[in-house]
Amino acid sequence: MNFKIPNFVKTNQFGLLCLVIIFICIFSFSTDGFTSRFNIYALSRVVALDIMIGLAMMVVILTGGLNLSLGALGVSAAMFGGWCMESMGIPISISIILVLAFGSFLGWINGFVTVRTGVHSFIVTLATMSIYFGFMTLLTEAEAFRKLPEIFTDFGSLKLFNKYISPLLIISVLTCFILYYVFKYTDIGRKLIAAGANPDAAELSGISVDRMFIYCHMLSGFLAALAGIMLTARIGAAIPSMAGHLGFDWLLPAFLAPVLGGTLLSGGKVTVFGTMLGAILVTLINNGLYLIDVGEFWVRFFLGMILLGAVLLDRAREYFTVKNSIVS
Amino acid sequence: MSNLLKKDWFGLGLVIILGSILISFFKPAFISPFNLYVLMLSVSLMLVVAMSQMIIIAIGQMNLSVGAIGGLVAISFTGLMEVYSMSILPAMLIGLLIGLACGFINGYITVKTGISAFIITLATLYIFKGMNLGITEAQPFYEIPDAVKFFGNAKILGPIPYLVIIPIIITILMWILMNRTSLGRYMLAYGNNVQSSELIGISSTKIVIYAHVISGLLAAIGGMLVVCRLQLGTPNIGDSWLLPSFAAPVIGGAILAGGKVDVIATAFGVILVSIISQALVIFKIDPFFVQIFLGFMILLAVFINRYREYREERRTKVFSYD
Repeated sequence: MNFKIPNFVKTNQFGLLCLVIIFICIFSFSTDGFTSRFNIYALSRVVALDIMIGLAMMVVILTGGLNLSLGALGVSAAMFGGWCMESMGIPISISIILVLAFGSFLGWINGFVTVRTGVHSFIVTLATMSIYFGFMTLLTEAEAFRKLPEIFTDFGSLKLFNKYISPLLIISVLTCFILYYVFKYTDIGRKLIAAGANPDAAELSGISVDRMFIYCHMLSGFLAALAGIMLTARIGAAIPSMAGHLGFDWLLPAFLAPVLGGTLLSGGKVTVFGTMLGAILVTLINNGLYLIDVGEFWVRFFLGMILLGAVLLDRAREYFTVKNSIVS
Repeated sequence: MSNLLKKDWFGLGLVIILGSILISFFKPAFISPFNLYVLMLSVSLMLVVAMSQMIIIAIGQMNLSVGAIGGLVAISFTGLMEVYSMSILPAMLIGLLIGLACGFINGYITVKTGISAFIITLATLYIFKGMNLGITEAQPFYEIPDAVKFFGNAKILGPIPYLVIIPIIITILMWILMNRTSLGRYMLAYGNNVQSSELIGISSTKIVIYAHVISGLLAAIGGMLVVCRLQLGTPNIGDSWLLPSFAAPVIGGAILAGGKVDVIATAFGVILVSIISQALVIFKIDPFFVQIFLGFMILLAVFINRYREYREERRTKVFSYD
């Protein structure tokens, strides 16, 4: 009876991986179109965005905060990009750099106000959400940018690997690896985690916690802007309502992915690949729900149930692992 | 007098009075009966929503599902009357029961799992909203009894609508709850410090569930009041409640960490937000500015609160050196 379970099995990621595989099996057996080339390609386009949004939220959750303005920020950045490319005629590469800088700047505002007032980032980003979105709607007059350069929009509909995978997914996976490297092996990454895990201790060991928190918000803005660009490339136009009113459509995947992935809401723990798996799971379930035809109006209901189920399961897992460790 | 100055609502009241005088000086249309009527309607609807959020802020949590509960109750209320031709009173009671049940679910799961209320209510937001859309398939209910329509549009006297009665009663009851009952004081104690409130024998389970149930009930009432006002039950009722529901308590000086809320100041916060929104309309400013303005108002309130805390800290420090 005394066999040892490998540590990896106990982790959240392993459970997620199992869930992903189980869902893939269920959907590919119970529905026709799931494994078709078209569906896998469509999935890869969606999952790319969900991963990016999840990562953008994850880096703020690291500080023990939240970023409600994620969707509004991403859309504002994307609209800014549309304006740069279409109205100003700035070359694509420079436009993208400008957009990322703009996203980081909006993130900096979030971080700066949060740190300076000492108020929970929830309320700060709630306010900035409506400010960003309001200004964006006001300045664009709710008009879309539809005449983007063709190279840019073609990139969004490019098909790689025997037409199975979208290049957008490669960007997201690459971002995951970079973030993993940053958080695991670089000085600044470790400082960010330390500041999130125990601000007082970090401050005492010479880390400027305020600056780290601002960096996290800037990184969140950067990633959200990247997600905005990717969405623009995918749709082929920059549309003010592409993330819903106030960018709310991004909010559920943004929280689902890191929370499923095992990121602690109290801060101080990031799981880059957990977030990736979480995003994959969300997209799979979303896609599967449409394929098994639950009716589009019930999809939200099930997504909410899944989020609830996931956090409860996570709680149970924590409970059992704690009990196990006490016994051994 | 100096006691009065310290109150959260005093400064707000002053701003409201001076602001109203200033606005009506430039635009006399501001105090026209019709405008006052519209103003009172918007205040009464938002008052209930703000109270629904305030009680959760009091215990140091947040309830994202306020709007979703309101929407679900609104369409159930109208759906029961239209599809099952139920009379008003039972439909209303079922609506309240749904609000109560939704609040209970939020509170029970939050307190039993210890997961942050933010995540739980984010999940239930989607669950309630999904049920709403699943039931209605995004189609509104139009058949509303005349009595409900009358209640939503008739005036008691001059520009005063019937609709203000319920919100005023609720505000008074909330004031009594938070200031004169042990339940309300326990909620504040719990919000201020969970551990010490448990140590003095306050049951967390009871406090959290009560707060969420009251929040659910108020959201339900808010949803039904909107139905009276709009004279139809659309599935998107409650979608835009999130920002104002936090704006009013925060402007009223509530501390999001919990333990400090002020019912009167929250009510004044609602009035201030409504007056500003109304003024922007009267001055023919783009309606999108209202949203930006609301965002800035929250940030401003946050900065002012922070400044006051800072001053308070300095003052207490001076005394401690005496």
